[in-house]
Amino acid sequence: MSKELEVMDMAKESTSEKKVLTGGQALMECFLAEGVETIFGYPGGAIMPIYDGLYDYTDRLNHVLVRHEQGAAHAAEGFARASGRVGVCMATSGPGATNLVTGLADAIIDCTPIVAITGQVASHLLGTDAFQETDVIGITAPICKWNYQVTNADEIPEILSKAFFIAKAGKPGPVLVDITKDAQQGLMTKPFEYKKTTYLPGYHPRVTPKHDQIERAVELINNAKRPYVLFGHGVLISQAMQEFKEFIEKTDIPCASTLLGISALPIDHPNYMGWLGMHGMYAPNVMTDQCDVLIAIGMRFDDRVTGDASLFAKQAKIVHIEIDPAEIDKIKKAEAPVVGDVKEALKLMLPLVKSNDYTAWKNEFRKLEPREKEFVTDRDFKFEGQIKMAEVVKMVSDKTKGEACIVVDVGQHQMVSARYYEFKKCHSYIASGGLGTMGFAIPASLGAKMGAPDRQVIAFIGDGCFQMTIQELGTISQTGQEVKLIILNNNYLGMVRQWQQLFFEKRYSFVELHNPDFIMVAKGFGIEGKKVSERANLNDAIDEMLNHKGSYVLEVVVEKEENVFPMVPAGKSVSDIRLH
Amino acid sequence: MTTYTLCVFTENSIGLLNKITIIFTRRRINIESLTVSETERKGVSRFTIVIKHPKREEVEKLVRQIRKIVEVLSVFGYLNQDIVYNEIALFKIATPLGGKPIDIDAINSIYKAWVVYWELDYVVIQKTGTEEEIFEFFKYLKPHGIIEFVRSGRVAVGKTHRGLVEFLPEDQEWEYYL
Repeated sequence: MSKELEVMDMAKESTSEKKVLTGGQALMECFLAEGVETIFGYPGGAIMPIYDGLYDYTDRLNHVLVRHEQGAAHAAEGFARASGRVGVCMATSGPGATNLVTGLADAIIDCTPIVAITGQVASHLLGTDAFQETDVIGITAPICKWNYQVTNADEIPEILSKAFFIAKAGKPGPVLVDITKDAQQGLMTKPFEYKKTTYLPGYHPRVTPKHDQIERAVELINNAKRPYVLFGHGVLISQAMQEFKEFIEKTDIPCASTLLGISALPIDHPNYMGWLGMHGMYAPNVMTDQCDVLIAIGMRFDDRVTGDASLFAKQAKIVHIEIDPAEIDKIKKAEAPVVGDVKEALKLMLPLVKSNDYTAWKNEFRKLEPREKEFVTDRDFKFEGQIKMAEVVKMVSDKTKGEACIVVDVGQHQMVSARYYEFKKCHSYIASGGLGTMGFAIPASLGAKMGAPDRQVIAFIGDGCFQMTIQELGTISQTGQEVKLIILNNNYLGMVRQWQQLFFEKRYSFVELHNPDFIMVAKGFGIEGKKVSERANLNDAIDEMLNHKGSYVLEVVVEKEENVFPMVPAGKSVSDIRLH
Repeated sequence: MTTYTLCVFTENSIGLLNKITIIFTRRRINIESLTVSETERKGVSRFTIVIKHPKREEVEKLVRQIRKIVEVLSVFGYLNQDIVYNEIALFKIATPLGGKPIDIDAINSIYKAWVVYWELDYVVIQKTGTEEEIFEFFKYLKPHGIIEFVRSGRVAVGKTHRGLVEFLPEDQEWEYYL
């Protein structure tokens, strides 16, 4: 028999006779059936049979070996946020699983679909304090949309199918599947069969809103004199950017985004007034006190948006378009709740809403802009003394034409990036919003790059944040992916220092950092880099970073005690906003 | 403070009690009593949870958050006037030689309670009723010397013509015990 025939025969055999799979292999088949290509993970004792299964699938599944499981979770989040698909991460039992916890908590509050697989001790050892045993189901129950412990290989296809469905359906979120070692190792007793889940008796989120809710909302919108739209992450999650743009253009209503809603509408859109919240822009914040109808689309009135919620937009009637019924009336009572997917809701509302001209009302927003320019923007661009964060962000924005995917960490640099990067493309601002997780950006930027390989990914990171997940430079280096990391180094935990200055009489308590030589560290990981402290060299340094083939760390030494304004002090009304 | 009774229908799975009680913990709401058992539908459990709360809207928020749990099929919240409810209590009463005799007739006819077990030196009396009725009976028995007392959580059915299980998602073929 010729070699070719032999190969063909073997292929025939493997398709005609369904091979009996181990739990570990079945898991890989589940990944393939769900279209998973990239997995971020870290092996260990209780997950070894899964990694052994993976060994034969490396031609179809790209596994990224992170340096710490927290990195795996954040990378999966970055992947999900940039691609709109489910991110996947894996870790072993015990410490591996507990290291995922921060990422899971981050994912649930920012509605990011990820599926986390954890290894677990063999089922006969459960509950015996076995080596690396931890009650991961108990630990992650409050921070997962769903979790489940698999103790039998046969359960794997059904549970994984449920896991991917739950992670993605309705309001997305993290799902954890804990698989005991015997379930990974054991053979399935039946042929592998994968049925995609489309419905669960206990979970069937309403996608198409009820007709009467749409009617009530449209009535309020059409009769409004001073309507104002606040849009959030939901517009991006439901891929409703086009419908949203049409809605805004037809109604001519001025709109502002939440922090995570940024980039759902290009920032140069004439109806876009900016983003609001604690460090959001002046007009979008204070105008919440002036509107008569507030249309909240895919947002949840986070306290960083509302300040004192009882005073927030208290004169306005609220239309709340939201997929999660538990969000309705949770913080703000809605006169017209619309429960459903944002995209579906907007599609239904589009033919019903009236065309309008709100030029005069929009001008009231624009009239406030010079004030913000005078007190905030002009100060940020004085080009005196040390480099300011704003200059760096603006220069990167100009050089990338506002088209890069920006990943940020948490703190002052996060707010400055949101202010001064001029987003032209959707899904371009990836930040840890709800949880405010320092250390998010390095792994998330790698995940974002792998989720959107055609895009240029640039991360702005503070010097404090950078050191929280600095080890993931090794992961970036090993994958050979191209991400540009910009450290805005003020040698302080800047946001905490700002609060200490403003609210704690400048008692700087443990906020100053003795930093390493970041560039030497980067080079140690095999990543090129450069440090800049002079304004004169900034332009060339950014060019060099952008033109460099491969990942790059650019450290910019910025003014040490710079404050981010505007600022709504915590728990205060938006009318108490400070400009300086 | 108002008493609310929540009827939570769920899939019968491991760890679900924890997932439900976490939500009470997060919202700092104390559970007064809790009863769980399988319903007439196989694989469907029914939790009857009693809480006291001053604000109705907060209870509504709690209900909506419980609904978010994937294995939860349905949640109903009731005020006392909307339901028929009862608890069961067992009293172990000392009956020493020469002690005060127990008036079984009165216990049966006035308090609708029954002796369900006896030994030479004690009897066990079972009483069903509301919390108030049980404590009234407790007061009556106290002089006799209560060796042990236990009270169950509340069980409740709605004052509607239909059974609550009829409101559960119908697109699954349920197996009935009835």
